Amino acid sequence: MMTKKENHDPVCGMDASVFNDAVKVSHKGGEFLFCSEWCANRFKKNPEKFLGEPLIRLHDVQKSFQMGKVETKVLRGLNVNIWKGDFVAVIGASGSGKSTALNMIGLLDRPTSGSVFLDGEEVSALPDEKRALLRSKTFGFVFQQYNLIPWFTAYENVTLPLVFSNDGIDTERINKRFEEIGMTHRMDHRPLELSGGEQQRVALLRALANDPDIILGDEPTGNLDSETGEKILDMLIDLNNRKEKTLIIVTHDSGIAEKADQVIALKDGKLVRNHQKHKKVYTD
Amino acid sequence: MLKQFFILTLKGIRYRPTRSWLTIVGVIIGVMLVVIILSLGSGIQSAVSRTLQMFGSDLIIIFPGEETNPLVGFLGGQKFREKDLMALEDIPGVEFVMPMEVKIMNVEYKGEKKTVMIHAAPWKELIKIMESSQGVNLAKGDWPDNNQSNEIVLGYIAENSLFKNKVRIGDEIILKSKRMKVIGAVSEIGNQMDDNTMYISLDMFRTLTGTRQVAGSAFVKIASGADPNLVAKQIESKLDKQEVVQDFSVITPEKANALVGSVLTIVELAFILIAFISLLVGAVGIMNTMYTSVLERTKQIGIMKAIGASSDAILSLFLIESGMIGFVGGILGIILGVFIAFLVGLAAGDMGIGGLFSFAALDFYGFGVILIITFITGILSGIFPARKAAKMEPAEALRYE
Repeated sequence: MMTKKENHDPVCGMDASVFNDAVKVSHKGGEFLFCSEWCANRFKKNPEKFLGEPLIRLHDVQKSFQMGKVETKVLRGLNVNIWKGDFVAVIGASGSGKSTALNMIGLLDRPTSGSVFLDGEEVSALPDEKRALLRSKTFGFVFQQYNLIPWFTAYENVTLPLVFSNDGIDTERINKRFEEIGMTHRMDHRPLELSGGEQQRVALLRALANDPDIILGDEPTGNLDSETGEKILDMLIDLNNRKEKTLIIVTHDSGIAEKADQVIALKDGKLVRNHQKHKKVYTD
Repeated sequence: MLKQFFILTLKGIRYRPTRSWLTIVGVIIGVMLVVIILSLGSGIQSAVSRTLQMFGSDLIIIFPGEETNPLVGFLGGQKFREKDLMALEDIPGVEFVMPMEVKIMNVEYKGEKKTVMIHAAPWKELIKIMESSQGVNLAKGDWPDNNQSNEIVLGYIAENSLFKNKVRIGDEIILKSKRMKVIGAVSEIGNQMDDNTMYISLDMFRTLTGTRQVAGSAFVKIASGADPNLVAKQIESKLDKQEVVQDFSVITPEKANALVGSVLTIVELAFILIAFISLLVGAVGIMNTMYTSVLERTKQIGIMKAIGASSDAILSLFLIESGMIGFVGGILGIILGVFIAFLVGLAAGDMGIGGLFSFAALDFYGFGVILIITFITGILSGIFPARKAAKMEPAEALRYE
C-alpha cells in the first residue's frame, strides 16, 4: 500500500506542493502542507481526525477509455481524500471526468491505474463479488436519470437491493418509508407512471434500502425543476446532517456546491483546488 | 432468494410479452416436432413389431429368393414341389409343415371389383398357425374344415372397408369367376398388408389357378422344446438336395427380428437426428432472444449491479429466464405435439393406416426427459449471453443507451 506523500494535503489529499500559496502547519512536531487556508483551518479544528485514515482515498487514479483506436484519458492521476460524515460536491464542466470519478469512488468502475481505498482497504483490486457486496451494503446510488427498473413497481424497485443483499424484506418498514415521502398511493405504480420528482424519491428510497453509510448522487437534481430538485437535495442533506451519512454529489449547480463541506473540482481529468467554498469554487 | 429471483424474472418476461412469446413459440415448435417425430417413430416400430409377431416365435418360414426381399419371394418366386416341403416333416423338432401360396387376385363383391392378396393353405394347418402362433383369431362366422369347398375367410380390412358395403357372413364373393361363400372373418391384425387379405384353401387355390402339387412358400411349425436354429439348419440342408428351387431362404424368428431390427435402427437414428435438429433450432431461438434481451437490458443490468447485484445474481436472473422459456415452451410443445400427432393419427386411421403414431415410448418418463432436455437447452443457450451481461462493469453497462 502506497503511503501518503508528505506534500499531500492531509485533508483533501491533493498534491499541495504545486500551489504557490500552499499553507504550512506544524502539529505535534510534524509539518504539514495544505493547498489552501481553508484546508489548513479544517485541519487545525480537528487534527486527530485528519491524521487518521480517510473513509475514501483515491490514490493517483487514472482512467482511460478505448474508443476504437483512440484512447481517451478521462482521469489523469486523481488524489482525493473523503472523510466520514462529509457532504462532498464534485464539480466541473462536462467531460471533466467528474462522473467517472464518482464511479471510481462508488466501485462502479475500475481504475486503469492507481488505487481506491475504503476505510484503508484497497477496494479497486477486489474481485467482482466483494465489490458487489460493498455496493450493496456500503453505497447507495442516486442517478440523474433516476434509473428505476421499468418493469418493476415503485415498491419492487425499492426492495430490489434487499433481494440482492439477501436480507429479508421488512414490508412494514418499507411502507413506512413510502409514507414518509408521501408516496404510499404510488407504491404499486411503474416508473413510467410517475413524475420525475416521484421517480427520484423512489430512487432515493432504493438507495437507502440497505441503510448504506455512503450516498452517491450523479447529478440527482439535474433532470428536475428547481423546486423539486431543492426538495430532493434537502432530503439528501438531511441524511447527511441527521444520520451522518457521507454524501457525495456530482453537480453542475454551484448552489449545491456551496452547501458542501468539501468541493472536488475537476478539469480535464485533474483536480483543480478541490475544497474551496464560497467564491473560490473553480468550475472551469 | 431464488423464489424472489423467479418472481423478478416473471415480471421481466411479462414486461416483454411479444418477444417472450415469440421465443416460446420457437421452442414449442421444436419440442412439438420432437414429440411428433418420436411418436411417429414409435408408431412405425410397433407396426413393424406387430408384423414381426405374424412370424410367430415357433415358426420357420421358407420362401424362394433372397431373404431380404420376402414379398418378392412370396409373390413371384419359383415354386417348391409339395413333396419336397412335406418331406421336411421328417426332421426331428418339426411339428408340421404348411405349404402356402400367396397371390394377388381380382375379387368381385356385389358388382364391385377389387384387387386383394389371397393367402392359400390347408385349413387345418392355417387355423393352427394363425391361432396359436400368430395370435389371430376368428372374429365372426366359422373356420372352414373342408379343403374342397368353395369357402373363403376375410381379413379385417377386406371385410370392413375394401368394398363400399361391408361384407357379411354368408355373402358371396366372386374369385376368378368362381363363387366363394364368405364363412368367417378374422380379427384385426393392425397393418394394411395383413388385414387386406382373404384366405382360401390350398386345394381351392390349385383348382382356381390350375397349379399342381407345388407351393410358393411354407410355414414350418416347430415342436415345443426344439431349437429353431437347429431345425432351420436341417431344413436348409434337406432343401439343398431338391433341385427345383436352388435359391431359397429359411427364416427363423431370430433372423427375422435381426433383419427388421437393423432397418429399424436406421429409421430410429434418422428420427432422433431430426428431433435433435428441431431442438437445436429451438435452442438457437432462445439464444437469439437472450442475446437481444441482454443487449436491450444492458442499462438495467448496470443499475442492478450498482444497487448491489453480484455477477452471480445477474447470471442467475438470465438463466432462470432462459430456463423458464425452455420449460414453458417444452410443456406447451409436448401438449401441442401430442394433440397434433393424435389428430393426424385419427385422420390416418380413417384412411386405413392405423397406428401411425404411438405414444408407447413417450410415457410420463419420456415427457419428463424431453422437459429436462428443453430446460437444460434453455439454460445452456442462455449461458453465453448471461455471462456477457454478468461480467460487465456497472459503469460500462450504465453508459449503454
